[in-house]
Amino acid sequence: MATVAVPRAQLKPVPWSVLRLVPGIALLAAVGYAGKFLERFLNTYAKAHHWTFPNIEYVLWAILIGLVISNVLTVPKIFQAGIATYEFWLKVGIVLLGSRFVLADILKLGGISLALVVIEISLSLALMHWLGKVFNLSPKLTSLLAVGSSICGVSAIIAAKGAIDADDEDSTFAIAAILALGALALFTFPLVGHAFHLSDTAFGLWSGLGVDNTAEATATGALYSDAAGKVAVLAKTARNAMIGFVVLAYAIYWAKRGQTTAVGNKAAFLWNKFPKFVLGFLAISLLVSFHTFTKDQASSLANLSRWAFLLTFAGVGLRTNFRELSKQGVRPFIVGAFGEILIAALTFGLVFGANRIWGL
Amino acid sequence: MSQEKPADKPSHFALSLDSWAVVAALILAVAVRFDLLKKIPW
Repeated sequence: MATVAVPRAQLKPVPWSVLRLVPGIALLAAVGYAGKFLERFLNTYAKAHHWTFPNIEYVLWAILIGLVISNVLTVPKIFQAGIATYEFWLKVGIVLLGSRFVLADILKLGGISLALVVIEISLSLALMHWLGKVFNLSPKLTSLLAVGSSICGVSAIIAAKGAIDADDEDSTFAIAAILALGALALFTFPLVGHAFHLSDTAFGLWSGLGVDNTAEATATGALYSDAAGKVAVLAKTARNAMIGFVVLAYAIYWAKRGQTTAVGNKAAFLWNKFPKFVLGFLAISLLVSFHTFTKDQASSLANLSRWAFLLTFAGVGLRTNFRELSKQGVRPFIVGAFGEILIAALTFGLVFGANRIWGL
Repeated sequence: MSQEKPADKPSHFALSLDSWAVVAALILAVAVRFDLLKKIPW
């Protein structure tokens, strides 16, 4: 399947030119809401006509509409900057999702996730390095693919690129491969999950561990069920929390080989690379656990999180472009694909084992 | 030698995307807590 992300417009930290973002954000909202409308409309229509019609979640509709727009039509430039904000909405959604977890849930599921994440990261790194050697990829491209597939896709690749002074070309290859494979996972993971009758928790854990990019991991979980989406975010957040440690290890490794500057203050480096939305997620969960919000207020926060994810899912479709793959080269994609299939199988085995031990 | 463009200069408000997302989410949480935003539907 030829999918790959179009090069995304660079999000400048701030100050943003807010007006520049409005058309793209409006498009995200329109596509996301169209997905939600289609889900409701088709269910109502099927019920009224006594049809047996599977419930297709708004997530899939939003992604499909986005894919059609970005591949059949051409998205005008005026929308690009706003579409690129989908990652911002993803992170807002994750922080607010903290309202759906009390601390006890986080400690239990987060503990299991962390244990599995450590195993997954170690095995994925070893596997991707082995594949990189077999396919004779450049060591830095291999490092980027390893970081991307073991931790959290695009953010990890961007963090590692700066830390190990990798080429722009290598990081473009690695990002393209990771995003293409994430798009593939969106459609294959739920099929496998249903075939093996995975519970919502087990499937959510598998999505969080096996799908690399946070947006795709969240969407894959949500495609299975709302509860699976929630667990997928928790598992993925645990994985994201490890980004600083792995990137630091790579930075030290390449500095020792004299190919990048040495890391000075390691604590500052770790803080700089640490995904801050993890702290926001924990803070909201802590506030909800101590009843800072009424039940209605917690429910409003959860719904705000769903609206933020709606914009994200529309963005996942809108930024994926099939034509771009041919420009990216085949070898990194093959290495990525081999690695991802093996990692998907490996994480599936881990979740299956955890299910037996802890009864997820 | 690369020249620093004006846009590359660090700004006083140069928080990362992550940090801005946390700030935005916390503002929403405060608005909900003090009933400035009520009963958000889904």
